[in-house]
Amino acid sequence: MTDKSSDLIQGTLDMLILKTLALEPMHGYGIAVRLEQMSKGVFRLNAGSLFVAFQRLQRAGLITSEWKATENSRRAKYYSLTAPGRKKLNSETREWGRQVAAIARILEAS
Amino acid sequence: MSFLRSLSTGLRSLFRKNQVTQELDEELNSYLDMAAAEKIKRGMSREEALRSVRLEQGSREVTQEVVRAASWESIVETCWQDLHFAARMLRKSPGFTSVAILTLALGIGASTSIFSVVDAVLLRPLPYPNPTQIMRVWEQAPDGHRMNLADPNFDDFVAQNNTFASLAAYGYGLSSVSGGSEPARVNIAVVSTGFFKALGVEPFLGRAFAPDEQRLHGTPAVIVSYSYWQKYLGGADDLSHSHLSMEGGAYQVVGVMPRGFDFPPDVAAWIPRELDSETPSRTAHNWRGFGRLRDGVTVAQARANLGAIARRIREQYGKEVDLADAAVVPLADATVGDVHTALLTLAAGVGLLLLVACANVAGLLLARTSSRLKELAVRAALGAGRGRLIRQFLAESFALSFAGGLLGILIAIWAVKIMPAILPANLPRQKDIAINPSVLLFGLAAIVAVAVSLGLFTAWRAGNGDFHETLRAGSRTHTSTAGSQRFRGFLVIGEIAITLVILVGAGLLGRSFVRLISTNPGFRQENLITVEFSLPSSQGNLDANQSAIARQVHLMDELLARLAAIPGAETVGLSGALPVAAGDNLADGGFLILNGQKSPTNFEEWDRIAQNPSQVGQALYCVAGAGYFRTLGIPLIHGRLFGEQDDLNSPNVAVISQSLARQQWPNQDPVGQIINFGNMDGNLKPLTIVGVVGDVRAQGLDRPASSIIYVNYRQRGMNGNSSPTIVMRSAAPPAEILFAARSIFRDLAPDAPVKFSTFAQEMGGWLADRRFLLLLVGLFAAVALALATVGIYGVVAFSVARRTQEIGIRMSLGAPRSNILRLVLGEGARMAALGVLIGIAASLAITRLISTLLFGITATDPLTFAGVAALLSAAALLASYIPARRATRVDPLVALRYE
Repeated sequence: MTDKSSDLIQGTLDMLILKTLALEPMHGYGIAVRLEQMSKGVFRLNAGSLFVAFQRLQRAGLITSEWKATENSRRAKYYSLTAPGRKKLNSETREWGRQVAAIARILEAS
Repeated sequence: MSFLRSLSTGLRSLFRKNQVTQELDEELNSYLDMAAAEKIKRGMSREEALRSVRLEQGSREVTQEVVRAASWESIVETCWQDLHFAARMLRKSPGFTSVAILTLALGIGASTSIFSVVDAVLLRPLPYPNPTQIMRVWEQAPDGHRMNLADPNFDDFVAQNNTFASLAAYGYGLSSVSGGSEPARVNIAVVSTGFFKALGVEPFLGRAFAPDEQRLHGTPAVIVSYSYWQKYLGGADDLSHSHLSMEGGAYQVVGVMPRGFDFPPDVAAWIPRELDSETPSRTAHNWRGFGRLRDGVTVAQARANLGAIARRIREQYGKEVDLADAAVVPLADATVGDVHTALLTLAAGVGLLLLVACANVAGLLLARTSSRLKELAVRAALGAGRGRLIRQFLAESFALSFAGGLLGILIAIWAVKIMPAILPANLPRQKDIAINPSVLLFGLAAIVAVAVSLGLFTAWRAGNGDFHETLRAGSRTHTSTAGSQRFRGFLVIGEIAITLVILVGAGLLGRSFVRLISTNPGFRQENLITVEFSLPSSQGNLDANQSAIARQVHLMDELLARLAAIPGAETVGLSGALPVAAGDNLADGGFLILNGQKSPTNFEEWDRIAQNPSQVGQALYCVAGAGYFRTLGIPLIHGRLFGEQDDLNSPNVAVISQSLARQQWPNQDPVGQIINFGNMDGNLKPLTIVGVVGDVRAQGLDRPASSIIYVNYRQRGMNGNSSPTIVMRSAAPPAEILFAARSIFRDLAPDAPVKFSTFAQEMGGWLADRRFLLLLVGLFAAVALALATVGIYGVVAFSVARRTQEIGIRMSLGAPRSNILRLVLGEGARMAALGVLIGIAASLAITRLISTLLFGITATDPLTFAGVAALLSAAALLASYIPARRATRVDPLVALRYE
């Protein structure tokens, strides 16, 4: 059962989550909302694909989690970036920039 | 790093599944709540908000499943579920399951046990440092025949070679050793300098031999084995007070070899070769040679090097030598020698048995699959993917194979424990047989191989069926079972063919064995008691030391007289070796035919006469008394036996065997010929032939009758080339005779180690390796036959069940019962005929490989082939007769309604 709701380019979701967490620790729903807002509604994510990504990132040691109370005094699992996560984000961002520039050059050339 | 973390979290979620699920649940809840709360804030009603969230996010259960499925541990979990389900399905049909598991256990257990033997004897390196550098070395005759080394030749090899780091010679034999807690008859090895260095092993207690102990007439010293030290020296750390008397001298114990050091096999003590003078003859092949190659030297280089030395020796000494070349063979290969073929036969037999077992289980699984097609179709209709279904089959095969395999390994552990009792004594390195990691690994590999092949096979067969077709077809037609039934037929044909190969092997070995034991050895074997003993004074060469011989003759005569007086003892005789059973102990050598020439008085003269080939004959040397021939019932053909008149002072006489007479003196009377066999016992007195006796297969029933020269113990004495053996014929129970004999020996020769036995027992020992091979191959054949029979029965019975309706119709249309019987039997017979044909073709190609193990028959013995084919066909017909009879009893009315 693959996720069909997001048209995210394969592998970019992880980078976007890391980017979102770079500012401050955030819970799952917050991340989803933030991604939707920042992309102006282009990326709509469902819980399934998000949680799979959280699990993957956490196992890779790029993010950690802890249960905290929200501002509305609900309990929620807050994710935050680890040092390797920050490093990974930087390198991914650079790599992404290079690729986008390269793709743009190719598209413009034709 | 991240892999490890993934592994640890994965394991955590596997084992603390509830907690992990709960946490995910909670997180998901809070996520959905927040989403709903957001929508409520935007003005939706609570219900509306929840509904919209569900629409957007999909069902909570699906989400949970997606997240869980994304982690690796979920695969483990489904596999576990599959296995669990498989176990449940298998438990539901205990009959099928236990038959399948037992069959596999038998196959895997037998192969693992045999592998443990093959591993210890053939595969594992010898227990010395860099064992591949150690070589056995021989002189080689012009005809390629390998010979042990003669003293001067060995010395030349040592001095002139540049390929061996050390080259050593040794000899060994039974001897009596006293000075320990009690006298013992043990193997003693005489070893040259460099012996322990070549092996790379040193005494673990005490020291190696000092130079003073390795020179002519040096200080006698001995190194003992660990077990001798434990048993007879009390395992004492201080060796300075331990002296052993043996070989006519007192030896200081200077060292103890480490436990497990066993070269040559079963030796209790090692003494230096250099203490005694060398034999100057270049044809006295007394020493076994071996050595350690220098680093980087190959076997071929070493062989070329020693070969060149051998040729130089031949050039220099011409007719004084009989070597032309040298042979160099890795010690591991030389040790294994003859048993190689036997072991490979066993391995092949057990491998075939495993194949039959697998084919049988595959057949069972196939039958099970076809009877489960409907269940499968239902599961497929309910949404189980084909992959999942195939995985289910794999899981079942794995469950079966592992259960069977683990049971098999338990069988192997048990088999290895009881193995020493049935293994033939001459199997080298059998002390190393054990269930060790490599054997376990083999067992495991066998299990996995069986599991994978069975699983893939059944999955493939099941995957072939069209489930929807099955579901629609209902129970009335068996279109898809027809295909698998045909396939089961092929399996059974294969099984029959393989079984036939094993049966032919067993049959050939069995017929050889029967031929062997019914071969006439040349004497009567029944009611023979044997007493093998050694006397301290019988060691070393007696030469012509008349007083020593006289003392010995006195003792022997007294022993024989008192043994003959035991009530019930009929005849008593003495010889230098027990024929057949200990035939290898008889020394083989060339003798001089004097033809009127003056007998040589020294060995130079002896060698000179020996240069004339027409004056040299070849024979076994056997010391005996007149009573020996009478006791064994060896007939006197011509002339006379030894008599009272033949004593130390009269001319020495000899009796020869008929085959020697025929070969050496054809159309001529050998009686009266004068020969000299002094090279065997150091006594150069000529021998006059006085009689010819019947032939004896002294060197073994599988060898032709031996050419033997018997000399009189009263004239020549028991010397180093003899192992004194008394034979007694008595119809009385052996135990009574032995009791009396034992006390006579205690009286007359209290220090002499004695071995009492019967000829039947000794023969049993001699036949042990053949019997062992026959027993195991026979066992494999019996099991394979049983499995194949069950296989045929299964196929035919299933086919009868499938065709019940058809049979009913035939019968109601008036077909006689005999027709039905023929119909069903025909099916079994067709499979059997095809299987037997393929099996015979395969056997013709394969049995050639065991021709060296056969005796008296060829590898394509028609009688064996016919007998085995008949046996197998009979078994097949019997197996199909039972369901055929059932078919004829079918009530047409019931059958027509039968579903």
